[in-house]
This record gives sequence, structure tokens and C-alpha cells, in this order.
Amino acid sequence: MTDDLSLDLFGESQDGPESEPPPVQEPEPKVWSVSQVNRAVRGLLEDNVEPLWVGGEIGSWTRSRAGHCYFSLKDEKAQLKAVMFGRDAQRLPTDPDEGSKVRVFGDLTLYEARGDYQMVVRRLEGEGAEGLWRIAFEKLRAKLETEGLLAPERKRPIPRFPACVGVVTSPTGAALRDIISVLERRAPWTRVVLSGSRVQGEGASTEIAEAIRALCASGQPDVIIVGRGGGSLEDLWAFNEEPVARAIADATVPVVSAVGHEVDVTIADLVADVRAPTPSAAAETVVPDRAVLVTQLRAAPERLGRGLRQANERKRERVAGMLASLARSVERRLGPARQALDLRTAGIERRMRGLAERRGSALSAMSGRLEALSPLATLGRGYSVARTSEGRVLREVQDFEPGLRFTLRVSDGTIAADTHEILEDETP
Amino acid sequence: MTDATSDQGASEVTLEGRLARLEEILARMEAEDVALEEALKLFEEGVSHVRQAERVLSETELRVEELLASGETKPMDIDDA
Repeated sequence: MTDDLSLDLFGESQDGPESEPPPVQEPEPKVWSVSQVNRAVRGLLEDNVEPLWVGGEIGSWTRSRAGHCYFSLKDEKAQLKAVMFGRDAQRLPTDPDEGSKVRVFGDLTLYEARGDYQMVVRRLEGEGAEGLWRIAFEKLRAKLETEGLLAPERKRPIPRFPACVGVVTSPTGAALRDIISVLERRAPWTRVVLSGSRVQGEGASTEIAEAIRALCASGQPDVIIVGRGGGSLEDLWAFNEEPVARAIADATVPVVSAVGHEVDVTIADLVADVRAPTPSAAAETVVPDRAVLVTQLRAAPERLGRGLRQANERKRERVAGMLASLARSVERRLGPARQALDLRTAGIERRMRGLAERRGSALSAMSGRLEALSPLATLGRGYSVARTSEGRVLREVQDFEPGLRFTLRVSDGTIAADTHEILEDETP
Repeated sequence: MTDATSDQGASEVTLEGRLARLEEILARMEAEDVALEEALKLFEEGVSHVRQAERVLSETELRVEELLASGETKPMDIDDA
């Protein structure tokens, strides 16, 4: 068979495969094999129809294990079979739903084995600029939401003064430079550990996920920044894919996402603990500003000193207060006692005075009586007392023996005497 | 062993740990009910944290390292990147 067979299929054949094209009436028509026909038609389609865009609705859609997608495109009246091979199909953010409006770009051809005419699709886009991307985004978002991975209570706080910041981005990208320059300015004592990764293109999402896992496994960073600079939706797509979302959700330390510029929200942003609009903003989020910190630190000793003085003051006040209240309490307790004591003292004094007065008069009375009893007074009246040298009073005649020496006590002295003669019963 | 580890722990308090503790101390000392003895201890501890933290903050050069597949890191010259 020749290559130009197909060109002759519908024309006048000059050298047909088996014989001259027979006239209508001839009994032996020229017979083509099926393969020949299909090959010829395929050639016609492929050589004569330029690649083209076709718009329609997805009829049925199946994806084989090898990643090829078989589907049909249809409108109200007709349908067209289509195939998208794995290499092209894997760039699809998601499989389109049946019934969704799409446009496809590719070549018309014929699948010879079945005789099916079909379109080999190289690109497929949902309706609207971001149709399919949007759908894929929403699908994954819904899935993660169902699992609770987007819940606000999962968000972890960023450490305020991280010693080590992990960064997942391209080692050659602007994002890394931006992050480093901010960290250098604000917190140069920080250590930065880069876990490099491609951030766009086939397999980028898996690489990013691996880089996050490796950083976590290293145990080094206190916080991780994951991101890249701005780009088209397709450029940022890796950050909308499940591997990245899972790795962020599984991270052992808080993750700050920093993808593109503010307008693009990615799945990574939704799962991250904090979303920063740009890599520079992410760096500002994770470290404190040195100037502010230094000012606060310088103020700290003064504050500490004031606290100490206050504590001292408070203590002194407390001691003074305690003393005052102690004094008051003693006063309170002592008051009534003192009053009672005063009363009693007065009573005692009174009584003492009374006693003393009474005693005084009794004394003078007694002293008068003593006066009266005093033998001196009797002696004064002319009596005298005779006593032996031992002091025994000699009262009767018989007390005197002749020659007895005795003393005679008179009012103003004593006289030694002896018994000369006894004159019995001289006077009665 | 406990001595060695506690010594090391004391010298390797992170900046984060220090500043957090300092804030705690300041809040405590500015509260109304700190006893003088405690205030003295807090004051001394606070001042030492301030000194250490200022030393950390006086670092001027950002260290940038690259994580290797082995899990180790090696210094990275960002100008070459």
C-alpha cells in the first residue's frame, strides 16, 4: 500500500490496490479491505483538517487507569467522540463533570481499530477563563472542609520570637530573596533553613509537600513559610493541589502560606495557619521587628526597678499599717482595763486614807492609855519599885531577907540599897 | 547527669523563652501583690533575661542554611542562589 492511497479514495484511481476501477456494470468491483478504508479516511482527516477549537457539552467521561480520558462532546443535535491522552490529561486540574460546557483544542482523526472518528484533545478548558480550575479548587476545598482541615480551631498561633524559620520555595526565586531581606532587616539573629523545591510545573506539588515534610522531620524550624511569587493561575496551581494541602495540615509547626499576590487565594492559604499575601509579608509576620524589640528591652530594667521599689514601698506601708493597727488594737483592749484600774486605784487610795485616819486616832487613844499605864507616872507620884539584881520585884516584907541587896527604881533613876532592918506591920 | 543537662538548659533558653518569661515577670511585678522578697528575685531574674536577650539581638548577620536530603543543613550563600 502506498502512502498516497487515501488521496485517491474518492477520486479516479489510476493504480488501485487490486485492479483498475471497474465500470459500474462490471461484475468484479474493486474491493477495499477495512483497514485500507480506515487508514485512508484517517489520512484524509489528519492531513486536511487543521487543529481546531470545538465547543460543546461533556457527554460521558471516563478516565482509564493509564490516565487517558475518553469522552464525548455534544450539542443538541450531534456528538463527537474525543480522547485526551495521559500526558495532556494530567495537566487538567480536575475531570470535568458530565454536562459541563467546555471547549477543546486538538486534531481530528480516526481510530482505525474501531472505525470511530474522534478528536484527539490536547487542551480542555471549562467555560469562563478559570472554569475548570475553579471547579477543581471548589472540589478540593469541599473535601478538605469535610475533613475539618480548614476549621478555624485548627489554626495554630505563630511563635512570637522564632529562633529558626523554615522556608519552602524555589532556591532561585524572588520569593526567597524577599523573605531573606525582610528577615535580615527585622530579625538578623534568626536562622533560616531553606528546603528547596520547584514551585510550578508537573510534580511541583509533590515536591513542595516533600520539602515541608523534610523540614518538619529535621526538627529545626519553629515556623515554616511556604510560598512563591505571583504568577498566573496555572503557575500557582501546585498550591491548589492536595499533596501540598495535606503536608501543610500535617506540619508539626505552624505554617504561613505566601503564594502570589493578594488576589489569588489558594488551597494552601486555606489550610495554612496564617495566610500572608506575599513572601515579604510572610517574613514580616513570623519575626518581630528588631527596633521595637530593642526599645521594649531597654525599657524593661526601668520597669523592673519600678516594680521593685513599689514592692518595697508596699511592704513599708504594710508594716506601718500593721503597727498602727496593732497600736489601735492594744489601745482598744487596754482602754477598759485602764479605766477599771483607775477606778480601783482611787478606791484603794480612798480606803487606805480612811484606814490611815482610823489608825491614827486609835493610836493616839492607845498612846494615852499607855501613858496612863506607864509606871513612870506612878513613880512620879512618889512611889518606888524595889527589885533584886535579877529584876524580881520585891513586893512583901517576907521578900526581904536581912542583908539582901536590891535596887530601888524611882522616877528619875535607880538607887542601890540593902536590907538593914525589917519593921513588921508598921502601917496597915 | 541532671546537673549537666540543667546547666545546658539554662544557657540555651531560646529568645522566645526569655522574652516570654520577661513579660511574665514584668506583669507579675506590676501587679499589686508581690512580696518584697519575691520582687527581688524577679528583678534579678528579669535583668539577666534582658542582658541575655540584648546579646542575642545584637547579632547582625542572618544565617541562611539549606536543608539537605540527609536531614542535615549546610550554610547557603544567598548571592549564589
